[in-house]
Amino acid sequence: MLRITGGKVYDPANGINGEVRDICIADGKVVANVEGGRTIDANGMIVFPGGVDIHTHVAGAALNFARALTPENQRVAAKFMRTKDTRMGIGGQTPTTFATGYLYAGMGYTTVVEAAVPILSAKHTHEELRDTPIVDKACCLLMGNNELVMDLLEVGEYEKAKHTVAWLISAAKTYGIKAVNPGGVAAWKFGKDAKQIHSPIDGYNKVNPGTIIANLAKIVDELGLPHPMHLHCNNLGVPGNVSTTLETMKLLEGNRAHMAHLQFHAYGGDDWHNMRSESVQLAEYFNAHPNLTCDAGAVLFGNAVTITADGPWQHLLYQLTGRKWGNLDVENETGCGIVPYTYKGSNLVNAVQWAVGLELLLLINDPWRIFLTTDHPNGACFWRYPEIIHLLMHADIRRERVRALPDAALSRIYLADLDREYTLYEIAIITSAGPARALGMKQKGHLGVGADADIAIYNQNPDGELMFRYPRYVIKGGEVAVEEGEIRSVKDGHEFVCQPSYDEKIEDYLKPVFQQQYTMSFENYPVEAERVHGMQIAECSYHKETRTGAPEGDSPRTTPPSGG
Amino acid sequence: MGGKVSCTLGEVKNRADFILYWGGNPAECHPRHFTKYTIMQKGKFLPEGRKGRTMVLVDIRETMSVKAADIFLQVRPGKDFEVITALRALVKGNRVDTALVEETGLKLEQLQDLVDRMKRCKFGVIFFGMGLSMTRGKHMNSAAVLTLAAEMNAFTKFVAMPMRGHGNVAGADMVLRWTTGYPFGVNLCRGFPRFNPGEFSTVDLLVRGDIDAAFVLGADPGATMPQPGIDTLARVPTIVLDPKVTHTSRLARVHITTSVTGISSPGTAYRMDEVPLPLRPVLKSPYPSDEEVVRRIIAAVDKKTAWLPRPETMSSGVA
Ligand SMILES: [Zn+2]
Repeated sequence: MLRITGGKVYDPANGINGEVRDICIADGKVVANVEGGRTIDANGMIVFPGGVDIHTHVAGAALNFARALTPENQRVAAKFMRTKDTRMGIGGQTPTTFATGYLYAGMGYTTVVEAAVPILSAKHTHEELRDTPIVDKACCLLMGNNELVMDLLEVGEYEKAKHTVAWLISAAKTYGIKAVNPGGVAAWKFGKDAKQIHSPIDGYNKVNPGTIIANLAKIVDELGLPHPMHLHCNNLGVPGNVSTTLETMKLLEGNRAHMAHLQFHAYGGDDWHNMRSESVQLAEYFNAHPNLTCDAGAVLFGNAVTITADGPWQHLLYQLTGRKWGNLDVENETGCGIVPYTYKGSNLVNAVQWAVGLELLLLINDPWRIFLTTDHPNGACFWRYPEIIHLLMHADIRRERVRALPDAALSRIYLADLDREYTLYEIAIITSAGPARALGMKQKGHLGVGADADIAIYNQNPDGELMFRYPRYVIKGGEVAVEEGEIRSVKDGHEFVCQPSYDEKIEDYLKPVFQQQYTMSFENYPVEAERVHGMQIAECSYHKETRTGAPEGDSPRTTPPSGG
Repeated sequence: MGGKVSCTLGEVKNRADFILYWGGNPAECHPRHFTKYTIMQKGKFLPEGRKGRTMVLVDIRETMSVKAADIFLQVRPGKDFEVITALRALVKGNRVDTALVEETGLKLEQLQDLVDRMKRCKFGVIFFGMGLSMTRGKHMNSAAVLTLAAEMNAFTKFVAMPMRGHGNVAGADMVLRWTTGYPFGVNLCRGFPRFNPGEFSTVDLLVRGDIDAAFVLGADPGATMPQPGIDTLARVPTIVLDPKVTHTSRLARVHITTSVTGISSPGTAYRMDEVPLPLRPVLKSPYPSDEEVVRRIIAAVDKKTAWLPRPETMSSGVA
């Protein structure tokens, strides 16, 4: 049992904005009251629901490929010494699994979503997540280039495609699905891409990226998955891609969708020399369409490693940078590319990217619909989130940074004109309450009675970067996991999984097709339940009437505020 | 710079119309490779199977695999790097000196023909074996062939893959990567992982005699190491977990007989393309599994007073 007393509580899901009140914890949950047990005096501190990262890359074949490809990064990265309670590891751009858990928890984050899992190697992803301590986890299955599904859509078999998607999610033991460059990665298998939303994909007559996007969004909603389709649009990173992004969003009217790392999809111009920010245009459309949520995918200057299922984009990046290139196409399902990258303030393209991430966070006016991410490790590492929070809270510091950019960048960005400054309440939304709601995780992202007792307590400090980098306490599942920068409890978290229902006859259809196209036997394909550590099955209970991005404080999903 | 441009084996099965084996003898060393994954299979986009594919073999001698090849290129031993370099130049349309090519045992026309075929294919793959990666040039050869495949993507789809074998070596590599950040040659003596192949690789440590004890699992270094390494294994306390008697178990202080993973105990193995496969036991064994033995050793070690470096304050992770 635990009582946190004297702290200013920021619990946006319950409309609590910096009021001093007690939070009581028993059996890993927030409760109305406790007698006895430890009391944490949080005077002079702020109390947040534990952070929720809706889009990150921390486990699985792609990340593990990146680790092998970049030993030079590990060499200079932070080292984690083995102690009595913690395992050794390495931080940096592609942290080892144990270090990943310590780094997230050490920053006040308690739930993370691994955004890109191929079914064929999902066993591997779950093994890595098992070795990622403290935090709770979930993952998204790569579905935008699955040929089993595309072949069914080609012949107009929507229902069969839906049951196939449900079967695949159940087989892979994931929480939701993600579409990456829909159709483009499948085309990459013969060295092509899919740049036009409405043109057939190489090798297909009818199926185009738009078909895949619209059908998958509908399938996810009909299956009742708690999290909408997670979408990485076509033409990521390319000048002028804002038109593709807007076209894509129009296809999604009537369904939910989560637009991943929107920063990488908000550019104007038509080549690398005249690339510019189109954040204003994009935010305007986005603000008017409450069926959509997004995450920022913000960029910070410095070293990164780009890791994505978007194979053709990575080939282009390899040609542009001349740096190392890793590629791993996964049979019938997806791809994966890796290129180390350095974002430089002096580089015009990078300067625009840096500004666009912040601009979207400032121009999208509902904080319940845009979440803090860097598409780790693509735009920057997750452990640099506090730097972004600091910039969001201070317009003067942003302007100072803008002045350091090359002159040519200034006419291509909007950042210097934006006065908005995030409040602590809004920071709590974009780092925790908002992503938890978009994920449909009712027990996460708030501090009402019945919530999981995942809590971050920070020493209040005008320097937001310092404050959010070093929480005073982090409580995970009711236990003090981090205290003054030291890991205290290394209990393992849960992994959330969805098991949408499907017609069992779909296996009769899938099995022979599978045996023909894959190199693994059908029986070996699904992930065994024992392999998923601390598995908790989430309900597939979304109904179309439910809104996403409900206004703050009056959501149907809130639980009553705790006493105190 | 190159990198590693690869795919899972199903992509080869479904799409590869050009297959090049370099420095390997799959017919004898990976007997299921032709039939299950590469030349003999009918693929989604290759309904004709063998007829729709071109197979090229590059090696220093004629092996059993030659029979399966459409084209055999015999390279002089130790000249692989030169051949790859000439190919990379031809791919880019650069002039290559005829006399230099002839030192490799091949003719310029043969290389030009190979490059033309590579550029004409829809999906090309290079499988390279130990005849390339463990002979003169070693990792330089591997890097060069991987770069050749990467550069070919400016013209058509191309991938490359090492022909790995030896039990679950890919699995060990995967787990080391996610726990330590490095694939092999990892040293944990300072309480955190350090990587330096050539210094911390098993063979180097054994040959230098830089170890106090050895724990051998799923390997038989006593059969393959240079003699000074074998002498070290015999000198220090060596513990071997193995289902059978091996060269290493004969010189070990302790040999614990374990059941065979995949036959009598379950587990996971990674294929050469890094796809994990579950192993299901078909027989019962009176012996414990490797996993069980290791767990019991860990439990026993945990009871001892730990020697640990002083706990450090967690660093911020700034690279
Ligand atoms: Zn991503």
